[in-house]
Order: sequence, then C-alpha cells, then structure tokens
Amino acid sequence: MRHNLILAGPAFRLRPIGDADAHLLLELRCNPYLNRFLHATSSSVEDQLAWLADYYERPEDYYFVVERLETGAPEGVISVYDIDFEIGSGEWGRWILKPGSLAAVESAWLIYRYSFEQLKLAQVYCRTVADNQPVVSFHDSCGIPQRRLLPGHFDFGGNRVDAVEHLIDHWAWTQISPRLEKLAQLTARRLKRG
Amino acid sequence: MDRQQLEIVSLTVLATVLKCEVSAETSRKNTPQWDSLKHIEVVFALEDELGLQFSEEDMANLDSVGNIVDTALIRHAT
Repeated sequence: MRHNLILAGPAFRLRPIGDADAHLLLELRCNPYLNRFLHATSSSVEDQLAWLADYYERPEDYYFVVERLETGAPEGVISVYDIDFEIGSGEWGRWILKPGSLAAVESAWLIYRYSFEQLKLAQVYCRTVADNQPVVSFHDSCGIPQRRLLPGHFDFGGNRVDAVEHLIDHWAWTQISPRLEKLAQLTARRLKRG
Repeated sequence: MDRQQLEIVSLTVLATVLKCEVSAETSRKNTPQWDSLKHIEVVFALEDELGLQFSEEDMANLDSVGNIVDTALIRHAT
C-alpha cells in the first residue's frame, strides 16, 4: 500500500518504496547470488512497475527501501505484510540486502520495532526457505524461541520446498530487542568512523 | 603478532562466537552459522582480541580465516 512512513535507526532508515526504486528491485532480484531462494522475477522495469502498482493497492502491506542515513544510498529492501489485525499477526520478509551490506541487524530490528510498536501486532513471523541456511541461522542467532518447519511451504515453479518459520511474540521481542539494538548501535558507530 | 599467531586468535574467536568447529579453511560460504548477526559479533570480538580497528570496507571483506589474517596483518602494519 502507499504509505509515508520513515523509520530511522542509528545508521540506516527504512523509507517507502516507490516507482523510482524499480531499478533497485531489478538489481537485487536479478543478482544470481541474491535470488537463489527467491521466486523467479522478470528482468523488465515495466514488470517491476506493474508489480509495484499492484502493491500500492494492497492494504496492510508495507514495503520499504533500506538506505544509509548519512548518504541515502539504498542497500536493500524489506517489508511487513499479510497483516491480520484481528489476531494481531503479520509476516515480515521480501528482505534482500546488497552483498557486503552491514544493514542486516538494524533493518531487522527496525521492521520488528515497526511491527510491535507502531502496528501494535502481538506476533510477527518470518518464513525462510529451509535451504537458505545463512538466513535461517540469522533468525536463530537473534534468539527467536519459536521455530518450526513448514514442509513444502514454498512453490518455486511447481517445485515445493520447505520453509523454516521463526515467530516472535511481544514478550520475546522485549527479550531480543536490547541485543539487536546494541549490535545496531555498535555497527553504526563503526560506519560513522568510516 | 605474526601470521600464525593471528590465525590462532582468529580461529579461537570464530569457534567461540559461532559455536562450531572451525579450521583455516573456514569461510562464510562454507559455514552457515557465520550469518550476518554473528559476523558483526565476530568483527567486534576480533578487534578486542587483536587490539585493532577494522574499517567499514574491511568489515565486509572479513569473510574467511585467510582474509581475516591478511587484513589484520595490514592493520597491524599501519
């Protein structure tokens, strides 16, 4: 959906994605290293713009560009979607960062903050292709206590693959947030030093 | 510190932070536990143990034991 939310952390901010970011989406989604665990995407800017046009019309779907505070340079994308306010639940994902980016911890922290503190969700989950071990490990390293395997959850062109779901509720968030924030602050200090 | 000493410190830090077996061949590509969050913890632990500070460019490139040792040697020399 169209929104005007900007979430700033110590070194990065999340800002609304727009049509001008279609090339960024192409750069990220067509990178063979980054798209190993993504659904196939078109290499056409027009198709990306059409996808964004659909996204603008979808309610309760918040898509952001992750960019450096100091320079505004985009480093990736992230979103929270499939929000059900009746049960207070939402999924976060579409998380792609450029290789070498140090925005992982802070962007995850920011999307959790937004989900729990502004959307007031009771729980947030993230589903990762099980074979995407570094990202599964990232969620494990965050200390997320609720984790389960979803057999055949993703459909990649007719090929069903397993997902690992990490779910965090508000209590767990209060336990996990301080460590993520501290790591984000330490990273930011380093980035500001150059 | 010479190369051998740096390698020993690097392996100790990696084993402690990643909580898995490591060797001179360990890299982010062959070690899924070495994720983006652990990478930050590895870098800060290395800085503490080695008494140096890595640049932002270094941080992104410290993706294997060999690269850690090579980068630390350069940082110690400058």
